[in-house]
Amino acid sequence: MSTTMIEDPLAGQRPKPIQLNFTKPFWEGAKEKKFLLQYDPKAKKYQFYPRPVSVYTGEREMEWREASGKGTVYSYTLSYKAPPPFKDPKPYIVATIELEEKVRVLTNIINCDTAKLKIGMPVKLAWVKAGDTDYPVFEPA
Amino acid sequence: MAQRDIAIIGYSETPIVLRSGRSQYDLAGEAMAGALKHAGIDKSEIDGMAVSSCFSDAGNPFYGPILSAYLGLELNWCQVTDLGGASASGNVARAVAAIRAGLCETVLVVAADSQSSENKQSIGAFRGEFQYPMGIMGPPGYFALISQRYDHQYGLDAKALGKLAVTQRNHALMNPLACEKLKKPITVDDYLKSPMISDPIRMLDCVMVCDGASAFIVTTTERAKKLGAKKMVHPIGYGERVNYLETDPTPDITDGGHSVAGPKALKQAGMEVKDIQMLQPYDDFLIALVLQMEHMGFCKKGQGCAYVNEHDFSHTGDLPLNTGGGQISAGQAGLAGGAHNLAEAVRQLFGEAGERQVKRRENALVTGIGWIPYGRNWGSSTALILEAAQ
Repeated sequence: MSTTMIEDPLAGQRPKPIQLNFTKPFWEGAKEKKFLLQYDPKAKKYQFYPRPVSVYTGEREMEWREASGKGTVYSYTLSYKAPPPFKDPKPYIVATIELEEKVRVLTNIINCDTAKLKIGMPVKLAWVKAGDTDYPVFEPA
Repeated sequence: MAQRDIAIIGYSETPIVLRSGRSQYDLAGEAMAGALKHAGIDKSEIDGMAVSSCFSDAGNPFYGPILSAYLGLELNWCQVTDLGGASASGNVARAVAAIRAGLCETVLVVAADSQSSENKQSIGAFRGEFQYPMGIMGPPGYFALISQRYDHQYGLDAKALGKLAVTQRNHALMNPLACEKLKKPITVDDYLKSPMISDPIRMLDCVMVCDGASAFIVTTTERAKKLGAKKMVHPIGYGERVNYLETDPTPDITDGGHSVAGPKALKQAGMEVKDIQMLQPYDDFLIALVLQMEHMGFCKKGQGCAYVNEHDFSHTGDLPLNTGGGQISAGQAGLAGGAHNLAEAVRQLFGEAGERQVKRRENALVTGIGWIPYGRNWGSSTALILEAAQ
C-alpha cells in the first residue's frame, strides 16, 4: 500500500456546527479546547453526543466531565467524495474513535500516514475550526 | 400463530425514473389509480391511508391529509410513517393493526418520492453539530465504517458482494419498470473496478436516487371475498425495531435490529428461516444484504459472504433475491424505495412477474431499513412475511 500523509483536506471548508440549547456546555468547553462528555453519576457511565436526558436512566441529573482525549480507532474510511458544502477535497479520513471513557466519537483523523491507519490505532484529540467554532478531531497518538 | 384475516388485494408500481420532474403527488396518484384498477375495486372502498414520508415534500407537516385530498379520499384513519426505507413494510403492519382495531376497513398503503427531482430534507439534530462539520459522505460513509469494521472482525469478500451486484442487475434487466440508466449488464469485475466512494464502498455498492411510487390495497379477507378479489396475499408475520443497542455506548456495529425483527416475524408466521421461499430485502448497499442474512439467522454472524457464495439468488435459484433488481439495480425512489422490494414480493406471490417469475411462490420475506444513527448501524429495521392465499 502506498503511503500518503493526510493532513486536513477539509480545513477551511467545515460548516459551523448548528448548536442546540442543551449542548451549550460542550461548545463552551470547546472554546477552552476541552472535550466535555455527559456523565450519569447513577449509571456511572458517559454518553456522547449530548442528550437532554441520560440514555441509561431517562433522568436529567448529569455532570459534564472532561474527556482524556485518548482513544483508539474503532472503524474508519478513506472518503473520496464529500457532501455539500465541501468542494472537491482531496481524500480525507472519517473515523469512529472509541474514547478511554467508553463512548464513541464520529470524527476526522488528521495528520495521519495512510500506511499506519488501521483499526485499533491509538489517537489523541486535536482541534480544528468549523466556521469560527473550535471543533474536535483526532490525530495519531 | 399466523393469522390470515387481512389481505393485500392489489398493488401498483410506477416506472422508476431519474429526475422525472414530477411531484410525489402525481406519482402517488398514478400508483393509487394502478392499485385500484389492479384490485378491481372502487376508490370509495378506501377509508384508511398509510403513507411513507418523503424527501421531496419533507417540510410539509400536513402531508397525509393533503395527499389524501389530492387523491380524493375521505378517511377514517390517516397515518404518515417516517421509518425511511422501512416505512412501506411498516405501513402494511400499521394497516393490519388499524383494520383489526376497527379504525377502518380498507387501507391504501402508498409511498411516493421524487428525491432526484427535489430534495427538501433538513434533519438537523445531532447531525448539524457533530456530523456535518466532519464531512462524512452520508450513507456511503456510514456503510463504509460498518464494512471496514466487518472486514476487521470477519473478513469481507468483495467477490461475494460482486455476485450480489450481478444477480440483482440481471433481475433489473428483466424488469420493465427499472430505471433505464441502470439497465446495462455488469460483471463481478465491473463491480470490483467501480470507483471507490468511501473505501471500501464502491459506486456499484450504492443505490442511485430516483423518483417513483408504489401503492397497495389492504383489507380484511372477508371484505376481499365480498369484493370478488381473485388474488390475495396475507401478511402473516411482522417484526420491527427502531434503534438497537441504543443504551450501549460501544455496540458491535456489525450487529443490527433485524436480529430482533427477523426472528419476531418468523415466530409470528410460525416459520423458520428454511421455510422462506424468496427474499426481497431492503438494499441501499450490498453489505446490507449480507448483514441482514446474518441478523435474521439465514447464516451465522461473519458467515454472510460464505452464505452468498453457497447460494443461487437468481429468479431460478434456490433462494431468489430482489427479483425486480432491488433498489441498487432498479433505482431508489427516495424514501419510497423500500416499497420497491415490497411491490416485487407481492407481484411474485400473485404470479405476475413475467419472465422473472419464481417457481416457488408461496411466501416471501420483505425487509426495510431506515435512518442511520450517529456512528452505529442502521436505526430502523422491519421484517414482513407475506403468504400467497391458497
